[in-house]
Amino acid sequence: MSCKLVRRHLGAFVDGELDPATQIEFERHLEACPGCQEHLAFESSLRRQTRESIGGIHAPEHLWGRAVRRLAELDEARAEHTSLIEVRPMRWRQTWPIAAAAAAILIIGGVVGLPESAEYQSAGMLQDVVNLHSQALPSDVQAEAPQEVVRYFQGKTPFPVQPATFEEPGMKFIGARYIRVGAQPAAALYYIRDGRRVTLLLFQSSEIVRNAQRTHVGGRELYYHDVGGNVVTIRQHGGVNYAFFGDLDRRVLFQLAANARVAH
Amino acid sequence: MPRKSKKLAAERQLFEVEARPHLDALYSMALRLTRSPVDAEDLVQDTLVRAYRFYDRFEAGTNFKAWLLRIQMNTFVNRYRRASRERQVFDGPMAVPVGEGVMSRASMRGLTDPVGDAQRRLIGREIQHAFDELSDEARAMVLLADVEELSYKEIADVVGCPIGTVMSRLHRARKQLQTSLQKHAVQLGIIEDDDTDIEDPIPLEAFRSRKTVKS
Repeated sequence: MSCKLVRRHLGAFVDGELDPATQIEFERHLEACPGCQEHLAFESSLRRQTRESIGGIHAPEHLWGRAVRRLAELDEARAEHTSLIEVRPMRWRQTWPIAAAAAAILIIGGVVGLPESAEYQSAGMLQDVVNLHSQALPSDVQAEAPQEVVRYFQGKTPFPVQPATFEEPGMKFIGARYIRVGAQPAAALYYIRDGRRVTLLLFQSSEIVRNAQRTHVGGRELYYHDVGGNVVTIRQHGGVNYAFFGDLDRRVLFQLAANARVAH
Repeated sequence: MPRKSKKLAAERQLFEVEARPHLDALYSMALRLTRSPVDAEDLVQDTLVRAYRFYDRFEAGTNFKAWLLRIQMNTFVNRYRRASRERQVFDGPMAVPVGEGVMSRASMRGLTDPVGDAQRRLIGREIQHAFDELSDEARAMVLLADVEELSYKEIADVVGCPIGTVMSRLHRARKQLQTSLQKHAVQLGIIEDDDTDIEDPIPLEAFRSRKTVKS
């Protein structure tokens, strides 16, 4: 065994990662070779010094508490929506009071025409929005990679999907999945704001603004439905509905609806 | 408290007990990767949230620390999206070849087992500088192997590559560290500038094929 070979793989030797037979051959060579012993001493010493000077970092005191609080918040959100599912009646007409007690609804949407059909359809869709929020189905695609989200929806929805962004720093995008609202393919985007979940649904349908009321917030035109004391708001953009649902008060939801950047 | 919340709380407690001992390792890795305490904290928090979300997919009996580090590595790579470009530079045709004996014997002697606190601190600081000059990928290799002392198998799991690749990346990273360290040490006069005695590089492939023939 040559010195060259031993020195070349001294790192793996020190790591104990050579196969046993080779390890023994290395040891035998090292016993007899002062030159390689010097290399070994250096390699081991450098390893130790590296560990000492780069390692030994302690996380700041508050970090663990901060992370644990975040986990607790997520669990609260999870527990909250599961308990909703447990009491939710099957028929949508009966679910309004529960949904109303649970949350305000905001629908930001963009729709152009208003076809005949649709008081029933509109109510059914609004109910879908409520239900989809309370079920909180798991995300299929995670928020860490916004480009993944765009790709994920390609070919699934008839319109491109980009997560809406918000200037408000407390509004955090956490994930998304493909879903249906009524018969329409839709994108569900999940956000968290101060520990409360907010669901944004994107879909195409003109019925959703049928009989809606209209208001202006921050120069934006918003439609909204009052639903058992809570509100559904609709903002028009590019022929796609942005349906936003969260356990937040009406004023806050209006602001979010008006300020959302929904470019695509 | 509803039953569901109790169940979640119990599960969370289990996760917390298991994850807590690795917080320093996560933070240290995050800090070395992001080079910013603020980003490091965010990265660690995101890592723990993701790990908790996928906790049920952790295979009991495997290395939990390695699992956490893998999640953190992925989170980092996804967020910064630099890894693929960097990897090409690191492993690919553009990679700078590193030889076997990067250091002269005199340099090695100067840096082996420093005597006295002052000398040790000085060299320690130079190691940090040299380390900071490495690419993200190389820093990760050195951290996982030399600081966290994971096995090659575990490192392979963390960074998502074959063990052979771990070997060559780690070798390369260590040699880069040594080259950079030597440069710093010479500048500081800790060691003499002496570049005789440097041996020819021998490619890892050659060794591997010899190994294969032998076995």
